[in-house]
Amino acid sequence: MTIHQRFVLSGGLPVLAQQRPGPALLAARLVLRGGSSADPRHKRGAHQLLAGLMTRGCGSLDAEALADCVEGRGASLRAEASEDALTVGLHCAAEDAEVLLPLLLEMVRRPRLEDDQVDLERQLNLQTLRRQREDPFQLAHDGLRTLLYGDGPYGHDPLGVEAELAALQGPDLQSLITGLGTKGAVLVLCGTVPPDLQALLETPLHNSPWTTALPPTQGDENSQPPSTHYGSIERQEQDTEQLVLMLGTTTLPLGHPDGPALRLLQTHLGAGMSARLFQVMREERGLAYDVGVHMPARSGAAPFVMHLSSSADRAEEATHCLLDEWSRLLEEPLSAAELELAQAKFRGQDAMGRQTCSQIADRLSLVLSHGLAENHVERTLERASGLTPHDLQQAAMRWLRHPSLSLVGPAEGLEPAAAVWGDHRLSQGPPQD
Amino acid sequence: MSETRGSLAPLLSGLGDPERQRLANGVELVSLPLPEAPLVCIDFWCRAGSSFEQPQEHGLAHFLEHMVFKGSDALAAGEFDRRVEALGGMTNAATGFDDVHFHVLIPPEAAPEALDLLLDLVLRPRLEAEAFAMERQVVLEELAQSEDQPEEVALQRLLAAACPNHPYSLPILGDRESLLHHDPEAMAAFHQRLYRPGGCVLALAGATGDGQLASRAALGPLGALTNGEPTDTIEPPTLQVVPGEQRLALPRLEAARLLMAWAQPPAGNLEALIGSDLATTVLSEGRRSRLVDRLREDLRLVESIDLDLHAMQGGSLALLEAVCEPDDLEAVRRAITEVWQEVMAAPITKEEWERAQRLVANSYRFSLESSAGVAGLIGSNQLWQRQYRLASPLEMLQRWTPETLQHQVLIGFDPALASVLEAVPA
Repeated sequence: MTIHQRFVLSGGLPVLAQQRPGPALLAARLVLRGGSSADPRHKRGAHQLLAGLMTRGCGSLDAEALADCVEGRGASLRAEASEDALTVGLHCAAEDAEVLLPLLLEMVRRPRLEDDQVDLERQLNLQTLRRQREDPFQLAHDGLRTLLYGDGPYGHDPLGVEAELAALQGPDLQSLITGLGTKGAVLVLCGTVPPDLQALLETPLHNSPWTTALPPTQGDENSQPPSTHYGSIERQEQDTEQLVLMLGTTTLPLGHPDGPALRLLQTHLGAGMSARLFQVMREERGLAYDVGVHMPARSGAAPFVMHLSSSADRAEEATHCLLDEWSRLLEEPLSAAELELAQAKFRGQDAMGRQTCSQIADRLSLVLSHGLAENHVERTLERASGLTPHDLQQAAMRWLRHPSLSLVGPAEGLEPAAAVWGDHRLSQGPPQD
Repeated sequence: MSETRGSLAPLLSGLGDPERQRLANGVELVSLPLPEAPLVCIDFWCRAGSSFEQPQEHGLAHFLEHMVFKGSDALAAGEFDRRVEALGGMTNAATGFDDVHFHVLIPPEAAPEALDLLLDLVLRPRLEAEAFAMERQVVLEELAQSEDQPEEVALQRLLAAACPNHPYSLPILGDRESLLHHDPEAMAAFHQRLYRPGGCVLALAGATGDGQLASRAALGPLGALTNGEPTDTIEPPTLQVVPGEQRLALPRLEAARLLMAWAQPPAGNLEALIGSDLATTVLSEGRRSRLVDRLREDLRLVESIDLDLHAMQGGSLALLEAVCEPDDLEAVRRAITEVWQEVMAAPITKEEWERAQRLVANSYRFSLESSAGVAGLIGSNQLWQRQYRLASPLEMLQRWTPETLQHQVLIGFDPALASVLEAVPA
């Protein structure tokens, strides 16, 4: 990847810009380390609420004026908290970048946090949290998260926990602002980059430089030992036709040496229609429509999750099949052909993720915000191409030995599924070496 | 106006107009070179959406889309996916009311092989009995998954009431009963009837190698496709929305929904459709739109309120969804009516007008950033014989004025003309 401009703003914010041919547009991502996992005690939901408030007025613009400024130019400007970061994203026509880009800095440096807007944003977040419960997949996801992370930093939805979110006030958010950027931040642009970019971005910092820096390379504090917490199951009864199954465990942070091996396993199992789970559970057995593997990038122990939903009357077969597929990772190496296909798909996914300016800005800002090198993706691809089936099995043995199971569905599906789980070797303690 | 026009023109810089080619048998090819794009998109379109199912064929268009991936004359089940993905590609398909399309995204060097594979797969499906029975289970699971989402259930109920006796009122996935009765022979007949010259278009976007891909396509099963009278006349029936209202109690619903549907011009009438796009933008796109500003930001009655335009060949639909407390449904409806009355009573301001134009223009042009976006647009336009230049939507945008929008389009958003559904937690 060619970076066409790089510089550091007064106070330390690194800026990287990539000029890209094509339609005259610009995508920008300002990423600040520290998201919902850094929510203060008893204030879960604070970072997402703060992110939402950033779009509700900053500097000299109140909520209406800011919306007029952005929407009046046909642009989109969003801010949200994920587990590890707070991200402000802009997507606009190139000609509007000059007016809109400085707003990114205004939003994180001088959000207005007007009481009336805090009340509205909090109410909207509470409503969204509640409405999410309509989705059985969300319920299963929440159940698994509790099993895997409990009250830990990754133990709650970035939107928060209802009772704590309901009590959040402006001063709670104000106190977070001073900490923004202390764990590092980075601004990445891709597309038609405006001339005089540096001067443009310095203006909002003119009187008050923002003390920050490129997020540091991660130390060991984020890397926890593999989970030894086995045999957990969570059941939620719902009057649905299908049973949702999510089987997962906690693994490793982005940048960990075992990362490429787990990514290849994820690709083998879940990427595309040639994926192992898709072939075995959908094409050979007709057990599910949707089946896959979820492994988000995290700065701490990321979850690795297999998921599917199947009619309640096929719960027993579906559970057996899912648990056996997980065990297979531990018990059998991939064939040479399986590994080769996974490696080809892994390279293919990389190209899929470089089609738009937004995708490019997302990816570069993601690795930089984790304290990783600009060429981290290329290095990962290289490392993945050198791995053997044995390497993958060893990584699985290190990280995937103790999954937990979250189930959502009607009683007639929950019971047989739980019985299969209880009898399966995955729930019976560590396998004998 | 001329000022805005000047600023919109360069927005499509770098994009020419698609090249069109008609094969001897009547199949049309359309392509747009994007030499810088990392991936080529090969997109096969066919007038074979659920609208063209006969009564006993309910769900067959979508089921066939699944069966296509179960192998063809030359490809074993699963072989297509394995080979395309081993080449670094990705494939997908979607069935709509009007049409179905199958597309592959692939690195340029592998595009010729992927093209051959895709056309064989789509035009010569095996439809074996055993695979048919297995895939039926998958479609039934897809149906069950969709029925477990109360929002989906509410939407289907709205469509059923809004356009009774029209194919758009029926779920694309079909229903359990019909799915259980289908057999491979009926599916083969459906395929033969609809996948033929005049009803098929191949779209290519990306580094297409100076027309080499198009020439290659002409030589394979696409050029060999025969049989049939021209199917240009295949069109879904004209859509009408029946005003009315219903209330539905749904289990597992956490918040109430207000759904409203209005009839809009057919997708073939581009200028009118752009008017609809402008109107829905004025009403509900962004915080400063009329409905969001009033109902969410000011009155704080809703968690969200959206009004989306679904462009369709037989007539488009504007669908409104508001999420609120059950007790607030009445107030929400009242506020929507007031907003509509106000938008009809006074002229749209200059700022509001420019905002809507910019939002519509940018959303169109941002959608053309990737080869998949381009192939999808030029493919569906060609399929339905919408002969206009890529920049035409941006030019037509300029033909509207606040006055014409008010008198010709916004007037049609009278709540009394909508089909309304209130869904409340059971």
